[in-house]
Amino acid sequence: MRAINSGMRHFFLALLLLLPLFGGAAWAQQAQETQAQRQQVQPGNNAPTWRAARSGVAGYTSVQGRETGVLIQSEGETWRQLRNGPITRYGGWLVVLVLIAMGAFYMVRGPLGLHSPPTGKMIERFSAFERIAHWSMAISFCILAITGLTMLFGKHLLLPIIGHTLFSWLAELGKNLHNFVGPIFLFSIVVFVIKFIRDNLPRAYDITWLAKGGGVIGDEVVPCGRFNAGEKLWFWGGVIGLGTISGASGLVMDFPNFDQSRSVMMIANIVHVVSGVWFIAWSLTHIYLGTIGTTGAYEAMRNGYVDETWAREHAQYWYEDVKAGRRAPPSGESDAAVAASAPPQTQH
Amino acid sequence: MARMKFLCDAERCIECNGCVTACKQENEVPWGVNRRRVVTLNDGVPGEKSISVACMHCSDAPCMAVCPVDCFYRTEEGVVLHDKDMCIGCGYCFYACPFGAPQFPQAGAFGMRGKMDKCTFCAGGPEADNSKEEFAKYGSNRLAQGKLPACAEMCSTKALLGGDGDVIADIFRDRALTRGKGAEVWGWSTAYGKPDKQQAPKGAKS
Repeated sequence: MRAINSGMRHFFLALLLLLPLFGGAAWAQQAQETQAQRQQVQPGNNAPTWRAARSGVAGYTSVQGRETGVLIQSEGETWRQLRNGPITRYGGWLVVLVLIAMGAFYMVRGPLGLHSPPTGKMIERFSAFERIAHWSMAISFCILAITGLTMLFGKHLLLPIIGHTLFSWLAELGKNLHNFVGPIFLFSIVVFVIKFIRDNLPRAYDITWLAKGGGVIGDEVVPCGRFNAGEKLWFWGGVIGLGTISGASGLVMDFPNFDQSRSVMMIANIVHVVSGVWFIAWSLTHIYLGTIGTTGAYEAMRNGYVDETWAREHAQYWYEDVKAGRRAPPSGESDAAVAASAPPQTQH
Repeated sequence: MARMKFLCDAERCIECNGCVTACKQENEVPWGVNRRRVVTLNDGVPGEKSISVACMHCSDAPCMAVCPVDCFYRTEEGVVLHDKDMCIGCGYCFYACPFGAPQFPQAGAFGMRGKMDKCTFCAGGPEADNSKEEFAKYGSNRLAQGKLPACAEMCSTKALLGGDGDVIADIFRDRALTRGKGAEVWGWSTAYGKPDKQQAPKGAKS
């Protein structure tokens, strides 16, 4: 019951943030009338004026600047309660729990290996352009994730260890990196999506793949296209969905030069932090499966080549299409040209 | 130990902006930053009241609570100060503050704001009291000189009170009790004496 109450409280706190967008004007009108009336019957009683000041209504001031006419804004307190409270607490635990879950999965299941022995013949999985697109996005994402986590949790986790001077230096570097790398990340998302959207369109066999959990539980090989349904979910929900939400909210805060109000930036901050924490938690599963979680996956994105057994077991329909000549290999060259360019045999 | 507070008497404030000017002059505040401002509610209509506002040096300061680098600190007199060397210019204190006290010299693209600046209750910063470095970053440290904030000291109508909370509360209470109503509010009795004493002063040359 206490948990429900606390959840409701946070919901209403979030609603409060939106309140000034609707309520301010009506309140001001009322206060205007009552202060004049109150003085008639109770000279020296300024209660209506103070009530108006508390309501966040804007008055006149000769001082130029953003919302300088507002004496008291209450949204900041709501934002503080949400950010310092549930967002920091549950957001932190979400990231920790995902890490623990993956560690446990690795201990129990180990890396997802191949069912048949590798053939030793390599097939091109990603072209150089595709890998550059992926790594531009991945590296900028990691910078954003680390600096973003420092902004939210560094005060509690890092500051007590390394002290104020070093931490504030790191945080300033992190803040500037975050603000400048953010737009680069958004640009790389656009390039990545244009390049990969065709192979991420949902297909009928994706449902079968999802129903079988990608074959991880039953330890079987489930056929799929160039990308499996899990990767497609990450593409649409993570890269496009969370990328758009956190990107748009980030831009609102990254460019304070448009005189957007404090409440707009605070709403953007909450959207940004919530979507960012989900983005990071989800990305951890992708990073796990793309590195130690799946044999050969990292080499595919690092060098662009996979063993033919790997291709058949992880992307069977795509592999069959490429082998049958129904679609070109990623860099668009013919098989002969690929063979001539001598693929690197770095299958560690 | 005294707990420093500001109090603005809306009944007395005449919106002269003397406090704003005094603050700028005393602290050589960066261009574009106003540590104090006067806001007029119901401007130009009956019931108009002006209130001077700056950092209120909260007991549970929101700026302090949301600062990601923990650059704020509170003095023994309850004054909320910050360390500009640590400030990263994220703007969170500017979001959280109810009074719009924290301000930045710029609002540039990519969040380039510069170091936050706000009212220090004329108490400077973490540097040595009244040192050149302290003055350059935070302005005057009048408290260390045994003086009160310049804005309150300069207030022509004594609407703005700044100092030990107990003392200014007593001053305000006395005012509220003796202020009277109607014409009394505007200083009639101050100029001509209480109703029972309204007579020409004796023995004075006119």
